[in-house]
Amino acid sequence: MKNERKRTFLLITVPILALFVCFNTIPLIRGVIYSFTNFKGFGSYDWVGFRNYIDLFSDARVGKSYLFTFKLAIVSTIVTNVTALLLALALNSKIRAKSFFRGAYFLPNILGALVVGYIFNYFFTYILPALASMIGVESLKSSILSDPGSAWFGIMIVCAWQAIAMNTIIYISGLQTVPEDVYEAGGLDGATGWKQFKHLTFPLIIPFFSINMVLCVKNFLMVFDQIMALTKGGPAQSTESISYLIYNNGMSGGQFGFQSANAVVFFIVIVCVSVAQMKFSGKKEEQL
Amino acid sequence: MITKKTNHAAMILLILGLSTIVFPLYLTLVIAFKQPTEMTNSISGILSLPKVWSLDNFREAMRVTDFWNSLRNSLVITLAAVGLSIGIHSIMGYALGRNKADSKFYSFVYLFIVSGMFVPFAILMMPLAKQTAELGLANWFGVIILYVVFYMPMNILLYSGYLVNIPMALEEAAKVDGASTWTTYWKIIFPIMRPMHATVAVLTALAVWNDVMTPLVILAGSGQNTLPLAQLNFQTQFGTNYNLAFASYLLSLIPILIFYVICQKQILNGVVNGAVK
Amino acid sequence: MKGKRIKYLGAALCCIMTAFVIQGCGKAANDQKIEIEIVQYKPEAAAYFEMVEDEFNATHDKISLKISSPNDAMTILRTRFIREDYPDMIGIGGDINYSYFVDAQILADVSDYKGLAGINQGYLDIAESLELVPTEGTYIVPYAANAAGVLYNRDMFEEHGWQIPETWDEMKALCEEIKAEGILPFYFGFKDTWTCLAPWNAMAVELSPSDTAKQVNSGTTNFTKEYRELSEKYLELLPYGPADPFAYGYNDACTAFARGESAMYPIGSYATPQILSVNPEMKIDSFVMPASDDKEERTLNSGIDLGFCVTADCKNKEAAYEVLDFLLADENIQKYIDAQNAVPCKTGEFQLSSMLDGMLEFIKAGNMTDYQDHYYPSEMAVDAQLQTFLIQQDVDAFLKKFDTDWQRYNRDIIRLVQAYEKEHKNV
Repeated sequence: MKNERKRTFLLITVPILALFVCFNTIPLIRGVIYSFTNFKGFGSYDWVGFRNYIDLFSDARVGKSYLFTFKLAIVSTIVTNVTALLLALALNSKIRAKSFFRGAYFLPNILGALVVGYIFNYFFTYILPALASMIGVESLKSSILSDPGSAWFGIMIVCAWQAIAMNTIIYISGLQTVPEDVYEAGGLDGATGWKQFKHLTFPLIIPFFSINMVLCVKNFLMVFDQIMALTKGGPAQSTESISYLIYNNGMSGGQFGFQSANAVVFFIVIVCVSVAQMKFSGKKEEQL
Repeated sequence: MITKKTNHAAMILLILGLSTIVFPLYLTLVIAFKQPTEMTNSISGILSLPKVWSLDNFREAMRVTDFWNSLRNSLVITLAAVGLSIGIHSIMGYALGRNKADSKFYSFVYLFIVSGMFVPFAILMMPLAKQTAELGLANWFGVIILYVVFYMPMNILLYSGYLVNIPMALEEAAKVDGASTWTTYWKIIFPIMRPMHATVAVLTALAVWNDVMTPLVILAGSGQNTLPLAQLNFQTQFGTNYNLAFASYLLSLIPILIFYVICQKQILNGVVNGAVK
Repeated sequence: MKGKRIKYLGAALCCIMTAFVIQGCGKAANDQKIEIEIVQYKPEAAAYFEMVEDEFNATHDKISLKISSPNDAMTILRTRFIREDYPDMIGIGGDINYSYFVDAQILADVSDYKGLAGINQGYLDIAESLELVPTEGTYIVPYAANAAGVLYNRDMFEEHGWQIPETWDEMKALCEEIKAEGILPFYFGFKDTWTCLAPWNAMAVELSPSDTAKQVNSGTTNFTKEYRELSEKYLELLPYGPADPFAYGYNDACTAFARGESAMYPIGSYATPQILSVNPEMKIDSFVMPASDDKEERTLNSGIDLGFCVTADCKNKEAAYEVLDFLLADENIQKYIDAQNAVPCKTGEFQLSSMLDGMLEFIKAGNMTDYQDHYYPSEMAVDAQLQTFLIQQDVDAFLKKFDTDWQRYNRDIIRLVQAYEKEHKNV
């Protein structure tokens, strides 16, 4: 019996792993090889050893992009998760027109980047300043996207606005796994509202919380579409994310080798962050 | 059911939050119906209703994107990618999820695949373009395979996370009846994971539906368009026809919204509750 | 039972994969016709090229022509290059990508093409100077050019009796005059960084040598010296634009100019279709941006917007030349420049768009200088640096960064250039 189980698992794992290696790991290794060259993306190239990696650490633009990306990712992750959890609880509670609300809150996720970009640009450039001068908020009278100090905030709002839909779905599917008798038992003990959430609901959806955290960190650290749609890295290069640099300078520009090195380092950094995060929430899971 | 009454606090919160969605949607709709000559930079101008309600923009957008052909390609790719993802990723998630706690090998494979999520696509792009061409996969079939690989890390993370809440007792009961692991999975675990299948289906479908880069790079120059690829026609550096583009985006939003509504029902009809009792 | 199904599915997948591999190898040419495939990078001209394709195929039995005008053509081209799946011909602009392609030996020498005799020498010279190091041969047939200067609202100018400026002082006086009437002289869309390059290029042609970048590469000068006056003058334009130009994008600026919110918009002729889409009745004209006080130094900022190259991989150069002949037929060029408001690179009598009236004398006289940014590597993001400069308004810091970044991003090119010069001095 035991052997049968083991064999079946192995038969499942090996072919799928092979597929993954073939179309993810092998191309990645090829990419890593390019990171040791001055390849432009076409034509011939020379081996440059570790030059790209050394350059990477002395490149102020790359350093700035790391700072920006992490700042954006951390704030967006917090905002998104808090809002999504609230929304999921609300959408999961006894409300009218449930399907309508669930459909409506899903919409931000499917509007194309061009549409989102245009609408939020319009909102930040014209509507928000007009509202601000109407109610007399001095600091918002000019577009927040045109100020290098505040543009990241505009991007954060759009990132969160779009990502909340997905996180909410995952939280909702998590809430489905909470058996109702838990609430019933809790109800008898007098646990309601915040107490019920903290002691009954949340511990049971911790696996989904960690999934959401990992997905958030991944999506926000690799933010690209929102940057292209809103600022294209500006103003004053204050919103260049790491993925933006890798794509723009590596794929469209002639820095393919150098940006491959950037991608390799970036990959290692995110893996470290995520592993640390998973270890952390794994411990939390055990504690409960 | 603990409360039979409507949760009013939740209703108020939801209705307030809805404004952040209704407003952009209103703008999208209005712009999709307007003509380029009605576009202005003034707020009252942008908020106003179009002078004439006509479906011309939609008709023109359908013509420019060769809508029915592009839609068919997008549908085929999305449905195939979603179907394969559910089949392959769920069983892989099961194999890894059930074993990673006490096997070094499975725990390594799990981390190895999940970390694949963080590979920046830009670094894979060129090697993949070359590799798919070498394997004769520079076609829609190659695109589907790539999607199955790209979303494997996220979906395995989701499936194995969901498994934590499915008690082993269910499987052990089946084992006593003499069912093989393989049968147990398909008969008992697979149906139980239905809410997660629906979640995975929504997330994968959405990602595939909107993706531009993979088909752009893999199908480069083959003339086979997906909807997002065709929609690139609306924007060039020197001029964007937002009216046509918005009409087209609204059209391409409908299929995925319908798909979501169908899946949403599945997410809700979770069977774990019943099964655990 | 279901399990078996999955196993079969897996097996079937493998079979299909193998089938594709085999099919991929066994592709045979079963058509007698010579196929010529062109990928050109201007999607806005797709309709024109569809027409060319149809007409060419209707009149030629031996050659079958296929032209694609994809969006994001550069990504597609790069992807195809890496798979070694070269189209027979490519239509690209005369910018640094062209320089790279020549350097990478992707393009074929077309100096034996007879049609080159009909091309304006000025544009052939521009193409020549785009080569990173002087390379034997001609690699592009210039097709159409664009011009950048200042677009102005003709009705507004006529109504107020404003005169077209010819020197920098006149330009500033005009701006003051317009401002005094309560009208905004310029609109800027600096949120889209690339638009920062338009006034920059237009002024640079009069204030800096056209080969500044090449001189820097060979180590004879630096940008701090060559670009100082240009940078200072650029800053002087800012007060004549909207209060917060970094809030508005290209599209906002086009709409605002079309709605008469400003009298002028310093941008290239390529912007007119977008402006006219908002206000089809608008009368737009253009003039050459005066940046110098010396009228002798006046020159038009114009470069190769579209040229055709034959790839080194092309099997049938004769057929490619036949396609070029067709593309360069006078009536086709006229159709192209009508549709795109472009300037033809071919000599001859062509009817130019009325928006180019103000630039006509320069075009006729061949008094044109290429865009400075055609020499900038895109990854250096000069457009973003310019935006930063316009926000911070620190000339010294900007120029210093320009020089250090230039050395960094052009390291390989500089080495190539200096190696070439060393070698040729020895000879």
